[in-house]
Amino acid sequence: MQLTDEEHAMLAGEQGTLIQKSMEILVTLGEIYGATRMVEVTNVHSPGVSYRVAGDAGLDYVKEASGAGHFRVRTTLNTGGIDGFNWKEIGFPPDFVARQLELNTAYEDLGASPTYTCTPYLSGSIPQVGEHVAWGESSAIIFANSVLGARTNREGGPTALAAAVTGRVPAYGLHLDENRKANWLVRVNMKISSDRDFAVLGYFVGQTVGGGVPLFSGIHERPTLENYKALGAALASSGAVALYHVEGLTPEAPTKDAVLAQTYQTIDFGPIEYEAVVAKFSPAAPVNAVIFGCPHCSIEEMHRIAEALDGRRLHMDMWVCVSHPVYALAERSGYVRSIEDAGATILRDTCPILGATLDKGFKVVATNSGKLAHYMRGLWNVETSLLQFEDCIAVALQ
Amino acid sequence: MQDVVVLKGRKIVKGRAEGRALMTREAISFMGSTDPKTGTIIERGHEIEGECMQGKILCFPTSKGSTGGSYMLYDAVKRGVGPIGIVNIQAESIAVIGAIVSDLPMVDGIDISQIRTGDYVELNADAGVVKVYRDR
Repeated sequence: MQLTDEEHAMLAGEQGTLIQKSMEILVTLGEIYGATRMVEVTNVHSPGVSYRVAGDAGLDYVKEASGAGHFRVRTTLNTGGIDGFNWKEIGFPPDFVARQLELNTAYEDLGASPTYTCTPYLSGSIPQVGEHVAWGESSAIIFANSVLGARTNREGGPTALAAAVTGRVPAYGLHLDENRKANWLVRVNMKISSDRDFAVLGYFVGQTVGGGVPLFSGIHERPTLENYKALGAALASSGAVALYHVEGLTPEAPTKDAVLAQTYQTIDFGPIEYEAVVAKFSPAAPVNAVIFGCPHCSIEEMHRIAEALDGRRLHMDMWVCVSHPVYALAERSGYVRSIEDAGATILRDTCPILGATLDKGFKVVATNSGKLAHYMRGLWNVETSLLQFEDCIAVALQ
Repeated sequence: MQDVVVLKGRKIVKGRAEGRALMTREAISFMGSTDPKTGTIIERGHEIEGECMQGKILCFPTSKGSTGGSYMLYDAVKRGVGPIGIVNIQAESIAVIGAIVSDLPMVDGIDISQIRTGDYVELNADAGVVKVYRDR
């Protein structure tokens, strides 16, 4: 790789061992992928923030870094393992909480912003079209690349940390124009409109294209922010998709011709494919809990849940997962009261996937999130039912 | 008698390892497909659900899913329940990053359909070579 003078100095250890070790990791990664240079990044979203994910190995890794330097670019933190406000009331185990708080302190001492959310783009971090960033969190990466038109590869905890202390990542993959073209054309042959519809589409396509770049055609109505969030999260759960395009709608896909690679594969998505995904998440046993907010709820989702629950009473557990900044707005808007008065629990900073598994008696969990439906089965040893939003509400009020 | 198959790929992370193969034709997310405390595959409906990656040369097409997977692979390796080497068709960044910090030998560009679970595998990542020994 061709490094600048400053990058050479970093690699030579002239700026300390943390920066040296970080640069070594980035150079190693760059050489694997044939990068010829580094690219400067303007911000970082760090994954590996939950103790569930980092483990003791990751905790030690971050603590060691924390004693040895400081982030040089603005860094937001992904979802953690506990509700940082109500961990005791919700019942997070004290041992886990202690480790999580140690990890939080290590990241915050490095200079990270305590966002604790998978939706940094709803908490003030909105990179622009063409801006190079280093993001972790598969659902956030795909949102940044696809909806915002920013540029990031799929960063893991160690490379996000390395990027945060050096302000660099190797210039490969989605940082380069040529790798942002679509190599799959997905013809959507049915009307899709709800978040669950988009999640089903994403789940199917992620399974099929793996790490490819799909272009969706046949989506004529502009998807909402929540639709995009649901689509991307599912694409990045069943597959490793980090970028998609929607013909005529997302920033890099004004037309099909503008964004399709010279060679590409074509797949169709219609009612048969839709029902095949739904069938995977249709357990026979009755639902006994409902969870929203994977990825974390937007203010519009908080509004929708509050409206549906206002003045009513839930007959089973309902969890609503959200970032603290969106919670603060929801509280001021009166949504938090409507949701909590109905008997639902609002979780901040965490979620069932990245948080500790708790003994809540959940057996069959209904959700409109493809990502949650996918991961929660194995992580909590439960069944999951992928329902429309209205059906999740109806089943919880029954 | 043994059959020996030699497969040539590309070095991702240097090093050598030998042991029994655990092979799947399905992608793996080290966050969500695996339990870092036990090394067991926990993704519901995964082709190798219930198998354990501890001490195995883990052969799978590519990684997928959550970016938490890098630390979770590292954690599993540190706890001694991780694989001792990785063989991919196409290396994806999350497993690569985990393997780099874990010093876990890793190669890609390998036709993993030539490898079966239980085969004895010599992985020479430096040379990008995978030698597969199978009892006849």
